[in-house]
Amino acid sequence: MRAKEYYRASSLEDAYQKLQEDAKNVLLAGGLWIKKIGQSYNTLIDLSTLGLNQISENKDEIIVGAMVTERDFENHPAIRKLFNDSIAFAVREVMGVNFRNLATIGGSIMGRYPFSDVISGLLPYHVKLKFYPEQEMSLEEYLNYKGKLNAILTEIHIKKEEGRGYFKKVKTTALDFPTINFAISKINNEYKIVVGARPMVATIAKGASEYISNIKHPTEEDFIKTTELAVEELSFMDNKDASKEYRMDLTRVYIKRGLKEVNE
Amino acid sequence: MKVSFYLNEVLVTYDVAPHEYLATTLRNHAYKSVKIGCNESSCGSCTVLINGKPAMSCSILSLQVEGKRITTVEGIQEEAAKIAEYFGDEGADQCGFCNAGFALVIYALKKEYENPTEEEIKNYIVGNLCRCSGLYSHLRAIKKYLKEGK
Repeated sequence: MRAKEYYRASSLEDAYQKLQEDAKNVLLAGGLWIKKIGQSYNTLIDLSTLGLNQISENKDEIIVGAMVTERDFENHPAIRKLFNDSIAFAVREVMGVNFRNLATIGGSIMGRYPFSDVISGLLPYHVKLKFYPEQEMSLEEYLNYKGKLNAILTEIHIKKEEGRGYFKKVKTTALDFPTINFAISKINNEYKIVVGARPMVATIAKGASEYISNIKHPTEEDFIKTTELAVEELSFMDNKDASKEYRMDLTRVYIKRGLKEVNE
Repeated sequence: MKVSFYLNEVLVTYDVAPHEYLATTLRNHAYKSVKIGCNESSCGSCTVLINGKPAMSCSILSLQVEGKRITTVEGIQEEAAKIAEYFGDEGADQCGFCNAGFALVIYALKKEYENPTEEEIKNYIVGNLCRCSGLYSHLRAIKKYLKEGK
């Protein structure tokens, strides 16, 4: 990676102005992706002194600053309490502790990385993103947003709800990117089934989720039918890690297991 | 650009490039215990502690650690010597390239967890690779060190 300047932003407005100045200026969160892709920039805009590294909660929501590290996030008692620890579990699946002490939650979301475990782990829940200049959208809306959003992510709001969650990352070695990943939530008998790294960015299998949500006491056959619906409605592709067919087979297996687990 | 931080408890000020990574800065100033292995945030050989937490110094810019406390293995010599004994006893100590990073991660693990489970230990050290061994010798050494080295 090359950069001509390094700039410590003194406020969100300051960071935003600096970002507008030049198309080759970039916001610096943890900096891990910037390091990996190795491009050239004019100015790196450091957001670390803007107080965005706090986690707080009120009675309805947990509010996570965009600069909270993955490690602080996964260890936070309020996060661990949510949906039998499944969001924190998804984050713990990312690389090692020495990586997660640098990587930030905001950076993990804003990149919309197709391999993201963080995005898959959060997507089945009610997650709202807040930006500067003032703007708000759900995580799902952001994933579907066309083009690059010209704003700075400041907070991630996770709705506190009672329910169960499931997360599974299929990987070849402990430190690998996912071959595919799955996340399922069950909140008040409403299911959301997410499949990520297919190898495209995570998405909700809407038809499958709706189908199973309409069944009061699902049986094994209902679970199998749900997995088939998910395989039909989602797109899968080959890449160097796995074939399209293998990913479809994994989807059949793990969605069924996940549905059973959230019904325990 | 200038950056100041506490390196093993001593305040240092270095002149660095905007895109210079901490591992490079430390090595340029003779902290050669900090190894650059994969240089892509995977192997953990470059691990240092930043405010007590293990982090890959090949992947954080030197300017990002302004005002922070950085610990290399030179800063935990006594504990590192103890860890080395356990590594030696279990045959975990082979070429030595990963040892400095490992010692720092194990030191941080001991501080962070009182009685870690095997799963917690594995999750904590998974970001540090050893290409000589199968890491089981490391696991045995770490368990003994945590148990006896209190």
